[in-house]
Amino acid sequence: MLKASDPVKTRIDLRRYGVAFALVLLCLGFSALAPDAFASRANLVNLLQQITTLAIVATGATLIMVIGEFDLSFGYTASLAAVLTYVMFGHGYPVGLAIVSGLTAGCLAGLANGVLVARFQAPSFVATLAIGTILSGFAYWLSGGASLFSGAPESFKALARGDIFGFPILALWMVGVLAIAHILMAHTRLGRRLHAIGSNPQAARLVGLPILRDRITAFVIGGFLAALAGILLAARLGSVQHTMGEGFLLPAYAAAFLGATTSRTGTPTIGGAFLGVIIAGVVVNGLTIVGVEPFAQKMVTGGIIIAAVLMRQTPRKGWA
Amino acid sequence: MKFALTLAAAGLVLSSAAYAAGEKIAVVTPYLSAVATKEMVDTFKTEATAKGWTVDVVDTAGDMGAFASRLEDVTSKKPAGIVLVSVNPEQVQAQVDKAAAAGIPVAAMDGAKNKSVVVNVTSDNYVLDKTMSEFLFKAMGGKGNIVRFYHSAHPGVRQREIALDDAMKANPAIKEVGKYFVQVPGQVDNSRTAMDSMLLANAGDGAINGVWAAWDEPGIGAKLAIDAAGRKGIVIAGIDGNPQAIELIKGCTNYIGTVGQGFGDMAKITADQLAKVIAGGKADKDELYAPVKLITRESLGVTCK
Repeated sequence: MLKASDPVKTRIDLRRYGVAFALVLLCLGFSALAPDAFASRANLVNLLQQITTLAIVATGATLIMVIGEFDLSFGYTASLAAVLTYVMFGHGYPVGLAIVSGLTAGCLAGLANGVLVARFQAPSFVATLAIGTILSGFAYWLSGGASLFSGAPESFKALARGDIFGFPILALWMVGVLAIAHILMAHTRLGRRLHAIGSNPQAARLVGLPILRDRITAFVIGGFLAALAGILLAARLGSVQHTMGEGFLLPAYAAAFLGATTSRTGTPTIGGAFLGVIIAGVVVNGLTIVGVEPFAQKMVTGGIIIAAVLMRQTPRKGWA
Repeated sequence: MKFALTLAAAGLVLSSAAYAAGEKIAVVTPYLSAVATKEMVDTFKTEATAKGWTVDVVDTAGDMGAFASRLEDVTSKKPAGIVLVSVNPEQVQAQVDKAAAAGIPVAAMDGAKNKSVVVNVTSDNYVLDKTMSEFLFKAMGGKGNIVRFYHSAHPGVRQREIALDDAMKANPAIKEVGKYFVQVPGQVDNSRTAMDSMLLANAGDGAINGVWAAWDEPGIGAKLAIDAAGRKGIVIAGIDGNPQAIELIKGCTNYIGTVGQGFGDMAKITADQLAKVIAGGKADKDELYAPVKLITRESLGVTCK
């Protein structure tokens, strides 16, 4: 029986819920400083749209972190998929075919990463960086180095613009991806196998799990999600550049790491990564609204990530 | 936890310090690390302060996705005006339209004309490069091999590339033996590294005679590589009138010319035009050009032995 006088049991586990608590504090602080701008419905819509593509990439990053690997090619995959889609428009192909081509490119990039890492035992840092570099070359070649902002049909841009009953269409993609990824990881055999492979690959091998196939599958899903994020970003902007996805990488992994601090065991989770994405989005959005200089934004953002990690590392009874 | 709270509090203190009262103008750019962009932003801030405005500057370090998001953020603050620097508004058309629809006048500096932008103040980039290319080719004696440092994603730079292509058609004895798409930020080091490779690929005196830099920083990077390799007979010209480039020209180095864009003038014109619009008037035109000037040893009054 829980007793109110018991200090251990009544205390909220700040190591686990600290990130969420910090998010609430940040929202309250920004709301107090800029009530008309930050705490407005319009800004909530903005924020949802701004975090969508990062949330999709962070979901892919989380899936791959679950199996104990990293994929550093996400940003390049997103760029290539976006550029390829726009180039297809330029050649008069229909929207559906252009999008499928972009997504296929993402899956192929993931397949190449997966085969290198799972089949040939290449370190994922090196293999995915190499594949990413190749992809960036393709994106550059396809775009000619120029920004492409003509030829995209309105039906393509509509994928990331407008709203349904006030809820931004772009954010619906995020909700869909998060829901499917959560179900995949928490309620399917594949999800359970991925967790098993990540937590103890030797044991997974001994019990006969299809490690090779599952690890490749994780990379393919990651590539698909990166491509989807790139295509949605292209629809949101109405333009593409061959470097446009490169900004995804660090924030995506920062969000995944932040999210890992919220789980009981410290393993990456879809929900945790989403919380990390929200923190990243709120910090930049809020600091921009209240007018903080760019250098200070970077300092505060980095500081918050360090704080979250330290929070996780802090022993329950404090440092010795 | 205390540490997290302290950091959050520090962030909020910083925020409140920057959130001063008064009429606000938001300046948004993806290229603040470029010297020319910084000069425009700094001059604009000075002009704005003189007009009693306060300026918030947002930089997204080359990330166009973040640029769109930050543009939405500043729009939700409903500033008196928004200035986009060194970017084609069409790259983020939806967000620019949104700001205009909110009744916020959007001006572009070193950008491009746009239906949702009240004025674009720039240099005529084609004329800038026509001036530079003609000077460079003349310095090379009308013949020889050049390498090109470019960045087509920037609309102004793209115009310079087109001018170079036209100049090369008019000077068939000038050949291009290498070209490199410069990465931003980190452009000086990135260009130096690329030039290292191009020097190796074109070994021997006379294999490269000139460096065409779409703006000065890549030219400065190329010069570092040329100096380190000890290669002679390669002249460099750029665009922007970067102070470091001017010092190199004054110092009688192989950096022989740059074309000053008058970035300070652009910022002053933008501030004046925006003031007119904020006061309820109209900009003089939808696109205005700042004067340009070829800067060489001769124009600087330097005599080299």
